[in-house]
Amino acid sequence: MAGAAVGGRGCVTLRGAQIRDLLDAKHDVLFDCDGVIWNGETAVTGAPEVVSLLKQRGKRVFFVTNNCTRPRENYVQKFSRLGFTDVAEEEIFSSAYCSAAYLRDVARLQGKVYVIGCGGVMKELRDAGVPVAEEEDAEPGASIYTCPLDPDVKAVLVGYDENFTFMKLAKACCYLRSSECLFLATDPDPWHPLRGGRVTPGSGSLTAALETASSRKATVIGKPSRFMFDCISSQFGLDPARSLMIGDRLETDVLFGSNCGLATVLTLTGVSTLQEALAFRDSQEPQQKHCAPDYVMESVADILQALEE
Amino acid sequence: MAASKCTQLTAALSRQLLDSVDCVLFDCDGVIWRGDQAIPGAPEVISSLKKNGKRVFFVTNNSTKTQQMYADKLGKLGFDVTADEVFGTAYCSAVYLKNVCQLDGKVYLIGSNAMRQELEDVGIRPVGVGPDPVSGVQKDWANVPLDKEVQAVLVGFDEHFSYMKLNRALQYLCNPDCQFVGTNTDTRLPLEGGKAVPGTGCLLSAVETAAQRQAQVVGKPSNFMFECVASQFGLDPERCLMVGDRLDTDIMLGSNCGLKTLLTLTGVSTVAEAEANQKSECPQQQKMVPDYYIDSIADILPALQA
Repeated sequence: MAGAAVGGRGCVTLRGAQIRDLLDAKHDVLFDCDGVIWNGETAVTGAPEVVSLLKQRGKRVFFVTNNCTRPRENYVQKFSRLGFTDVAEEEIFSSAYCSAAYLRDVARLQGKVYVIGCGGVMKELRDAGVPVAEEEDAEPGASIYTCPLDPDVKAVLVGYDENFTFMKLAKACCYLRSSECLFLATDPDPWHPLRGGRVTPGSGSLTAALETASSRKATVIGKPSRFMFDCISSQFGLDPARSLMIGDRLETDVLFGSNCGLATVLTLTGVSTLQEALAFRDSQEPQQKHCAPDYVMESVADILQALEE
Repeated sequence: MAASKCTQLTAALSRQLLDSVDCVLFDCDGVIWRGDQAIPGAPEVISSLKKNGKRVFFVTNNSTKTQQMYADKLGKLGFDVTADEVFGTAYCSAVYLKNVCQLDGKVYLIGSNAMRQELEDVGIRPVGVGPDPVSGVQKDWANVPLDKEVQAVLVGFDEHFSYMKLNRALQYLCNPDCQFVGTNTDTRLPLEGGKAVPGTGCLLSAVETAAQRQAQVVGKPSNFMFECVASQFGLDPERCLMVGDRLDTDIMLGSNCGLKTLLTLTGVSTVAEAEANQKSECPQQQKMVPDYYIDSIADILPALQA
């Protein structure tokens, strides 16, 4: 059943026949990656088989990830490495790819973009033909008062950047003083999970620094914003009522599904817990309720069992 | 609450106001200096206040100088002050960690050498100051070696701020017993040469977002900045005047601590903003209305010298 219930989504744990019934009603399945189909360099047990089986049953499968550190061609290699046998580049939507698409197709950028980001973002921008302001190597003694600014910069894009420095923050802030300069962020994730329960700072923390410095709010491309869904839909024509979102992070994946009118499934192989989901369901605040999933599964492998029965 | 507020400080009112206080606290940037230049007449005001038997202190959110470095800067600009009269957030954060957080160990410091020095002077050992470029790959970063003696993370202004420093702070703050303190939340450094330089508030936003925790903030408008001075020098709030140029830090601090407040117009805030706050229904905005305003603190000189 399509999840459009007001005031209280179910958090219904699905098994067997219920999963089959849900899938019968859906044509397209959107998967988050980290914590759903893989964890680091290890596939979630059964995930490769689930993807193949869904395709065999005539479903379309897409991958929607906020992780902006790799270009799509690297993702294809990762899928292959982890045993997913038939995932095509066109099925992969990362926040890096979608940010480039946004700049080219929605903003129709006339000029350059100043990027605080990593290799994955740079590659996607180049592949999309979006000009990137070159970062000159810092001269000794260069300061924010003396460093040159590129007059062609008409947008700032901020994402995960392991080479983030104060100077980059200051330069981006200078560009953002012009109200005509666009302000984009790849994704809002404050931290990324690594193996063993550890975390590392995410794009959201760098975006927060720049928002505070510029007194401006970024337009966020990644989940839970709608744009990634619109991007997939513009290429493949998705019907929200016949689409399913499967993710592990309530504030990004489930809220994304909710914002786009999709039915949502939380899997418990990643970040969020069942207790957290129930707390959102029982909350009085509408925004929090939208973070509660329609359905819960232990793992995407449950789909395998359901379809094979 | 004063019967009338946001009144222009005339010569007659100056005399009255000065007689009603024993101590005057000044913000620095935009009040007694702008960048590297003294506001004309400001040094004379300070000297005159002291000659009139008033105690004078300086209270600034800037964390890049020690008490002695401030005394040196003020001396060069013609002000007659001693180091113990200047309260910047480098010094106050060290006192806060020692006395309020009861720290007895190390602190992971994102900040300046001045902050490092003030911490060492109160017997706290800082780690982490200086450049910290990234090395290794992502899985190494979650496993950076953590110093077990670190009991707090302190964030102040740091031109060497980097992803690596943000990462280390996050790793320490994953331990809920590790305390989290910030010097101030100002979003920009005072404008120098026309370029807006991001302030400590930006660095603090980054760390707070990554760690999903809120820092305890030492700087104005937190009461601690006044309490730090008051506890060392035995001040009576009702006999104190706070002079500043920012409604959201200086005047708010004065209101919260029960001081008299004077807004000078040589800096950030305007009379129009003060009057808008006065008309507002919001209790927070009501705290950002000064008792008096004046074009420049030099304008109280005649009343002092009369």
